[in-house]
Amino acid sequence: MASHAPTEHTLAPGEIAKPNTGWIWRVFGILVLITAVEFVFVFLMHPSTLRNSIFIVLTIFKAFFIVAEFMHLKHETKGLIWTILVPVALLIWLLVALITEGSFIGEVLQNMFK
Amino acid sequence: MAQSTTLQSPAAAATHDAPRTGNWDGGNEPFKASYGKLMMWFFLLSDAFTFAAFLTTYGMIRHKHEVFTGEAKDFVFSTRWWPIPDHVFNAFPGMGEANVPLGFVALMTMILILSSVTMVLAVEAGHRMDKKDVQKWLLWTILFGSTFLLSQAWEWSHFIHGHAEPTIMADGTKLFGANLSMNQYGPVLFADLFFFITGFHGTHVFSGVCLLVWCFIATTNGTFEKRGHYEMIEKIGLYWHFVDLVWVFVFTFFYLV
Repeated sequence: MASHAPTEHTLAPGEIAKPNTGWIWRVFGILVLITAVEFVFVFLMHPSTLRNSIFIVLTIFKAFFIVAEFMHLKHETKGLIWTILVPVALLIWLLVALITEGSFIGEVLQNMFK
Repeated sequence: MAQSTTLQSPAAAATHDAPRTGNWDGGNEPFKASYGKLMMWFFLLSDAFTFAAFLTTYGMIRHKHEVFTGEAKDFVFSTRWWPIPDHVFNAFPGMGEANVPLGFVALMTMILILSSVTMVLAVEAGHRMDKKDVQKWLLWTILFGSTFLLSQAWEWSHFIHGHAEPTIMADGTKLFGANLSMNQYGPVLFADLFFFITGFHGTHVFSGVCLLVWCFIATTNGTFEKRGHYEMIEKIGLYWHFVDLVWVFVFTFFYLV
C-alpha cells in the first residue's frame, strides 16, 4: 500500500497529485512479454508434456503479477494473503486427482471390448 | 504478534465508542481491509472455485478421450480424438478462410489485459481524487471490455457455423459447426465445454461492463467525490482483474495446451 500511495501531505487543498503509473505499465509489459513467449512455444515446439508444463508455469507467473500487483494482494496483510492462497492451493489437489481419474476412465473404456 | 492480538481492557470495552483495534476483538477491519473489499475477496475466492471446477472438468474429460498421436499437419477432425486447438480456432474476422492459428484469441487476450491496465489506472486516479482521470480510464475500460464481448460473439458465431470444409461423419453426412449435441471438431463434450466455460466467463465480463457503466455514472454525478473516497472503483476493479485472471487460465487450458 505505502509504495503506491500518493504523497498527500505535500499537497495544497484542492490540488490533485501527479499520477504515479510507471509500475502499472511495467507490469503490463511483463504480461505482454509472457504471452508473447507462450506463442513462441505454440509455434516452435511440438505438443508434449514438457510444452504443457511450460505453459502452466508461464500461466502461474501471469496470475502472480495480476493478483499481486493489479489486485494489490502483495501489499495486503499476511492474514489476508494466506486466507486467499491456502484454499486456492487445495484446488491443485482436486485438479491432479480428477485428471488422473479421467485418464483411468479413458483407459478402461478404450480396453472394454478388447 | 502478541501486541496486535491483545484484547481490550474491560474499561475500554465498556465505552461504546472506543475503537476496537485488535485483530480478534471485533474491530471493523480485521485484515486492515474494509468490509466491502474483504467481502469482494471472499466472493472472488468462491468464484475461483466455480471456474476451477469447470477447468478441472475440462481436464478430466479431455484425459478420458484419446489423443491424436500423428503429425500435426496430418490432423483431421474426428469424434475419436480430442481436437488440436490451433486447428479449431484459426479464423480471423475479415480474412475469410485464411489460416491464422490462435491469431484472434491472441488479440482478445491483449484487449482484456489492456482493459485490466486501464482499470488499475482508474483505481490509481481514484486514490488521487482525480475525477477527470477516473472518468477517462473507466471509459477506456468499458470500451475494451465491450470490444472483448463483441470479439467473443464473433468467435462463438464462427464456432457455431463452422469451417468452410465440413467434417464427413461415419454415415457419410457432412457436418458444419457445432451445437450442444453435435460438432464438426471432435467429441460432443468438446463443444459443450467450449460453450459453458467461455460462456460463463463472457457472462462475468458482461456483468463487469454493467458495473463499470454504473461506476462511470456515479463518478460523473460526483457520488464518490461527496463520499470522500473512490473505494467502489477499487472493489469493482478487483472483480474486473479477476475476470482477466480467469481468462489467463481459460486461454492456457482451452487454447494453448
